[in-house]
Amino acid sequence: MKKDVDLLKKKSRSQRDIVEKAGSAGLALSGLVGLFFLVILVWQIAIPTVIAGETGTIEPASEFIPESDYVLHWDYPNIDDQGNVKADPIILELSWDDGQTVEELEIKVVSQRGLTEDVYIDENGISTSEVEVGRKTKFYLKSSLTEQIEVKQISGPVPAADETGAPTVSSFVVSIDVDVLVSEDGIVFQPIELAGYAVLLVTMIIVTKPSEKSLAPLQKLYGKDKHVRIGSIVLAIITLALGGITVSSTLAAIGWLLAGIMVNRTTEGMQRLEQQGRTLKEVDRLKHSISNRDGLLMWARMLLFASTLFIPLAIDIPFLTERYQDIFQPYSSGIRSAFFGTIWVMTIAMVVSIPVSIGAAIYLEEYAAPSRTTKLIQALVTNLAGVPSIVFGMFGLAIFVKQGGIGLGLGPSILAAGLTMGVMAMPIIVLASQEALRSVPTSLRESAYGVGCTQWQVTKDHVLPSAMPGIMTGSILAMSRIMGEAAPLVVVGAAALVLFDPEPLAGIFGGNVNFTVIPIQIYFWTSEPEHAWHSMAAAASISLILLLVAMNSIAIILRQHFRKRLNS
Amino acid sequence: MSEEIGGEIVPDSTRDLDIDGEVDLMIEDLDLWYANKQALYGVSLPIAKNSVTALIGPSGCGKSTLLRTINRMNDLIPICHYEGKISKGEVEITAKDADLVEIRRNIGMVFQRPNPFPKSIYDNVAYGVRLHHQPTREELDNIVEKSLSRAAIWSEVADRLHDLGTSLSGGQQQRLCIARTIAIEPDVILMDEPCSALDPIATAAIEELILELKKDFTVVIVTHSMSQAARVSDYTGFMYLGRMVEFNKTEKIFSDPDQELTKRYITGRFG
Ligand SMILES: Nc1ncnc2c1ncn2[C@@H]1O[C@H](COP(=O)(O)OP(=O)(O)OP(=O)(O)O)[C@@H](O)[C@H]1O
Ligand SMILES: [Mg+2]
Repeated sequence: MKKDVDLLKKKSRSQRDIVEKAGSAGLALSGLVGLFFLVILVWQIAIPTVIAGETGTIEPASEFIPESDYVLHWDYPNIDDQGNVKADPIILELSWDDGQTVEELEIKVVSQRGLTEDVYIDENGISTSEVEVGRKTKFYLKSSLTEQIEVKQISGPVPAADETGAPTVSSFVVSIDVDVLVSEDGIVFQPIELAGYAVLLVTMIIVTKPSEKSLAPLQKLYGKDKHVRIGSIVLAIITLALGGITVSSTLAAIGWLLAGIMVNRTTEGMQRLEQQGRTLKEVDRLKHSISNRDGLLMWARMLLFASTLFIPLAIDIPFLTERYQDIFQPYSSGIRSAFFGTIWVMTIAMVVSIPVSIGAAIYLEEYAAPSRTTKLIQALVTNLAGVPSIVFGMFGLAIFVKQGGIGLGLGPSILAAGLTMGVMAMPIIVLASQEALRSVPTSLRESAYGVGCTQWQVTKDHVLPSAMPGIMTGSILAMSRIMGEAAPLVVVGAAALVLFDPEPLAGIFGGNVNFTVIPIQIYFWTSEPEHAWHSMAAAASISLILLLVAMNSIAIILRQHFRKRLNS
Repeated sequence: MSEEIGGEIVPDSTRDLDIDGEVDLMIEDLDLWYANKQALYGVSLPIAKNSVTALIGPSGCGKSTLLRTINRMNDLIPICHYEGKISKGEVEITAKDADLVEIRRNIGMVFQRPNPFPKSIYDNVAYGVRLHHQPTREELDNIVEKSLSRAAIWSEVADRLHDLGTSLSGGQQQRLCIARTIAIEPDVILMDEPCSALDPIATAAIEELILELKKDFTVVIVTHSMSQAARVSDYTGFMYLGRMVEFNKTEKIFSDPDQELTKRYITGRFG
């Protein structure tokens, strides 16, 4: 019998040792990865950077050599109040071979956006004689012939022009395009999505401020937690099925699930109350025992915040949803590609830098023995935090963008940009996290060791949660800083004009690597001569600031959540 | 051998003292330094199993330091190093390769300043238990309730188990820390002035608890209250300037101490 107990003890002890080793090994590894990046960076700064030239052949863009391009611009007078196109089709007459070959091309303008088909011309004639073109897209005629082609418009609306002949622009289209509930693609917010948000909001209110009245209806749900759970899952699935995998429907689906869990926790807590012989009247005094709900509330709040972030996208404000950019039509251009570019660059930078930096900070602060090497690393990190951002751009160019040598060859892609920004954020986050870890009182560590924690358990269960508010603040500050940075990305190769949604992983898997971010977009727009672009740049700046505010709000929610657990 | 401090002759070894029953912990020739400053000089004493040993002495004489060496809490202070030996039965606590986690699990500690975890009251007590066992929810509930009742705080917190431990008053926090320590059932409990922040009622409850604890545990308690030492302890050690001046049965210390220094301290004619 005693032997069995001994055996069990031994086993649990060896299990504990394995967990301990795995934990510290993981930390050491992430610390090392972070330090590795930093060391390369220092090395890069120390030695003159040599960027190898590209090798290989350049593939032709297409088999057609466009000798003559016909680009059609038109205004929007051909759209009525309902947004319907009322213009006649445009008919072009194309002639070449000294007038020997004449073909007619009918272009129908339809109300959809983004619809486009290019027409190719070769010896056999034109590839099609009829195309449909979305009302705001460019349309190209491409020719592989060596001689000039004459293009004449023989019918259809003439593009609007001012006295100098430049096409004029009108901005009234903006007011037509804002669809709150119904857009040309159908319903924007499914009613079930709105219901999901609403139910979540109501549940949050009940849980935050429980009162006898608001809790009474929940009494009916006693013992039905399974029904509630299944119900919320079914509603989530229906939401996804109706809305498709879009941002708003996914968020709404999560909202249903959260609401379900919160209701269950609350009824559970209420039942516990009643078992203790208390009535719901005393709820106010006993708020805390209703349920352990802090974490859930935090997630619910964050979800609602995130969903408000995407409302402008969902309700289709052209400035945010348009990626079309035409030099002649500033007001119908949008920052969609730049917006998504920023979101992706930030996401990648965050995913790369935050865990690694926190790991490095923990390693330096809690594990590494104070030695000369540690001191040296510490000095390096401190200095790196002050390195000008353009230097990080050079670093990114050498390491992530270029191929050959130590370069990873990701090209001027989102991935390279995100990694560059991530590396730039690293020293800032490491320093802030170290500061936060250092300010965790010794007495907390002592009390944890006192109940028999291993070092890893102390770090994971006590030190890290206590340092979390500080770490969050540092991370968010770093993220805010890199969100507004343009300089490094100019070096990495953000483009001035991007007509497609960026593809975050194009750097690895191939595809269109072009991307841009809001600060770069602002920079390029301000350098346009026309005034309209400057107002666009101002609008983009406001969007950038709003994005920052939204991000910081999420940070504040997170920070308060962690801090509340410590200070109250 | 003897030595002179502050004009008084004191013995420098108290390890050979006769104690009733079994010896649980043996501390031998413990010297301790904080950086270059020596805080303990050749401290030796036996600690009897299932008894209460009180450490008394003026502020700064090294009581907390000695206590913290017993469960190797001083290892957390980088500038602290020591020589000497502490053993618990066969196990040498001060050994280089000692399993610190096991030692601290078996030798629980209540700190001078209350330091509950910033978690709920429930989790404060449950955390250590979960760390070492895999209790069911029901077992855990029982352990938590039992520990909190023994620490004389259950009636005050039964309603608010999910409040933060740090939201309690100082005295309540101290009792919560006591509950946290007894919940993991160590063999030895070290208490560093557990009653310094408590009112007389709670102090009485804790003293009662200490007397009851001694049935199952070995208790070492640091206190500034002579009467408390006299009430709860079986053995008393008087420390002065890092030395163990006198260590003996409590009745002996308080009725007829061998050292003049001890006599002066307990009668309040000191300094
Ligand atoms: N972390 C530390 N670093 C440096 N010196 C320390 C440290 N902790 C204690 N000391 C020194 O060691 C000596 C003994 O301190 P200790 O805390 O053991 O005294 P104490 O007897 O517990 O006093 P009190 O009754 O006031 O709690 C003191 O002179 C103190 O200055
Ligand atoms: Mg002390």
